[in-house]
Amino acid sequence: MKPYILPPESMTNEAISSRLTNSALTNIDKGLIKKKNLVYLELNGCSGNIISLLNGQNPDFEYTLNSMVNLRYCNSLMASEGDRAIEKLMNTLDEDFILAVEGAVALKNNGLYNVIGSWEGKPLTGLQAAKMFGERASHILAVGACATHGGISAAKPNPSQSVGLQKVLPQKKMIKLPGCPVHPDWFLGTLAHLLLYGEPETDNMDRPLMFYSSLIHDRCPRRPFFDRGIFAEKLGDKTCLFKLGCRGPVTRVDCPTRQWNGHVNWPIGDDTPCIGCAQFGFPDAMAPFISYDTTKVVKNE
Amino acid sequence: MNKKIIINPLTRISGFMEIDVTIENNQVIDAKTKGNLFRGFEQMLVGRNPFDAVYFTQRICGICSAAHSMASSLALEDALNIQPMEQGRYLRDIIHCCEFLQNHIRHFYQYTVPDFVKIEQNPLLLSDHDDFRLPKAINDRISQHYFDSLPISRLAHQMLAVLGGKAPHNHGVFIGGIATQATAEKIVHIDSILQKVIQFIDEKMIPDVYEIAHYYLEYFQLGKGYGNLLTYGSFNDYKDLGTLYVDPLVATSKSVEIFDENKIQEKIDYSWFTSKKSTNQPSEAVTVPDMEKEKAYSWVKAPRYDNLPFEVGPLARLILSGAYDNKISAMDRTIARAIEAKKIAEIMKILLQQIIPGVDVQKKYELPEVAAGRGLVDTTRGALGHWLGIQDKKLSFYQIITPSTWDFSTRDNNGYRGVAEEALIGTPIQNPDKPAEIGRILRSFDPCMSCATHVYSPGRQVKTIKVF
Repeated sequence: MKPYILPPESMTNEAISSRLTNSALTNIDKGLIKKKNLVYLELNGCSGNIISLLNGQNPDFEYTLNSMVNLRYCNSLMASEGDRAIEKLMNTLDEDFILAVEGAVALKNNGLYNVIGSWEGKPLTGLQAAKMFGERASHILAVGACATHGGISAAKPNPSQSVGLQKVLPQKKMIKLPGCPVHPDWFLGTLAHLLLYGEPETDNMDRPLMFYSSLIHDRCPRRPFFDRGIFAEKLGDKTCLFKLGCRGPVTRVDCPTRQWNGHVNWPIGDDTPCIGCAQFGFPDAMAPFISYDTTKVVKNE
Repeated sequence: MNKKIIINPLTRISGFMEIDVTIENNQVIDAKTKGNLFRGFEQMLVGRNPFDAVYFTQRICGICSAAHSMASSLALEDALNIQPMEQGRYLRDIIHCCEFLQNHIRHFYQYTVPDFVKIEQNPLLLSDHDDFRLPKAINDRISQHYFDSLPISRLAHQMLAVLGGKAPHNHGVFIGGIATQATAEKIVHIDSILQKVIQFIDEKMIPDVYEIAHYYLEYFQLGKGYGNLLTYGSFNDYKDLGTLYVDPLVATSKSVEIFDENKIQEKIDYSWFTSKKSTNQPSEAVTVPDMEKEKAYSWVKAPRYDNLPFEVGPLARLILSGAYDNKISAMDRTIARAIEAKKIAEIMKILLQQIIPGVDVQKKYELPEVAAGRGLVDTTRGALGHWLGIQDKKLSFYQIITPSTWDFSTRDNNGYRGVAEEALIGTPIQNPDKPAEIGRILRSFDPCMSCATHVYSPGRQVKTIKVF
């Protein structure tokens, strides 16, 4: 018997990922779910995804760190350094663990353009680590544009011959979370889903549908301007930014409703075009990011 | 007998770094810092739309991305001959302040504190050495502040996003200032968050750094380096406000003088690059990666000013601005970062008071066929410079010298070591099997290897570049 009639649960992305993480935490507290090991590898990139994860509020990062997973390795945060850090990394190999990777895999010089540590007296390359841990992980999360498809690290002419994680683990199933950087909710919500229900439903490009299902353009608050053909001519204008090069029409992700940094703002809210950072192909396929003359014929583009 | 200590990776930094030191009688006699990742931003930028540099170069670094948006916007303004309005400068500098705050708080609590404080809440955060000296009550309090700091650094990024759209990798900073306009609501939103951040710095961060210093007094004698200091200037030269922090200055043990950008050179004698000359001006350097090069050991080049290595960063700025005694050590560097956080928050308050809501600082910009420009700005870790060339309305040249390139440079043809390398020489190592000292000294510089190792330029010289 229900004592109260509750209003329907809110179905915003925000509310869904909040419910997911909260029930994951409750179940961990009750002992219904075992805390899993998480190995977080930073490869060839800017380490901006881990910084973005520190910005997580839903749940907050400290809760994730202390209550949801045993974070076993993370170059940016771990206290251990040198051999002892790498030992801790290697110790997880024979255990059950989720692997999260940010940054691209640099192939040049057999991986030597990105050395993440030293193991048994030899340089441990990002390439070696990606393969070694990717083969053994129970689940793999490719975090941010560089990991999902090479991203900025693989921008033309790609001097380090960087590739996305899937290229060096062609047979492995992985969840891809493109974004430059990833939004903390996209990562933490996916992680909560993994802990609670296993892998979330993904599209044919391995992106979780709960975050990456609709085009920015379809939910853009400036869509009415587009429909009426009212376009911004410069940054700072309040109308549709399409003619300045906005990539909202080709980018599938929930920025318009989720927003960033505590949900206070987002690029279009800042009167700038979306640069498609959460779409495969970023950055080269999304360039130029800003142009004042998209409607003119441009030579040599 | 000589013994070699190799730390790889040096964790709790941005990017990948290896440090090799040689010790004799438990004292460091030689040190090499090695940058261990390479992407090649300078080559990637050639041929791109010049406006894209602002968003593209931010991806060099996840922890200090706004710094690169500042330097690239300044370089483009120089090339396009655009004078930003003061309102634009204020707004842009407010975004930059937010990044200082985010960065300094994270560097102190997430990167530095685990070196000195035994954080037992999570095994990931517990250091392996056994040189923990704080009394339990203080240790436990600062351990708790590790976690208390996370919502605060997050709020610093939230303030940034209010004006910049998102962080990391903001959309706000651009030619002319920022993209959007301030509103009364945004200004008070930021101001109310700023009060919480200031309260945290006053009540926790600054007391914590002095507590740590009190129990690790010998670090006031360690990690000195060459003692040469440099800043490109920070929050300076406003039309109405004058200089809020520090003007462009350089100091050696002999003198303090006005900074002259023509005296900057970059050397590659010990870096994995080849070029026609091993010493270049920033606006002409053309280097190609070469990991086979003899003697070379790092992806980091060696910038020099007047042929000397210079330290950059919060301590350099505080001393050059006259706000800190001329004491240079690992502990002074760490204290300076906390004091500077407070200073930046105060500057940000002043800038917020200047903002007039609704001022649109943006225009439709035209690209020149041929141009060159540079943007020099002091950012969280110190002096950052972008040099660019434009030909046929495309980027034809891009050069970036980051603060960590200054502090973590390789040695040079005159026999000088990099600043951080020199800072390690003579350091006594208590326990060579678990050395705590090396990491503490290196982290006092706040190394950012993502930034220091971004580079290389293609083997094609641009003829139209002007020499600054």
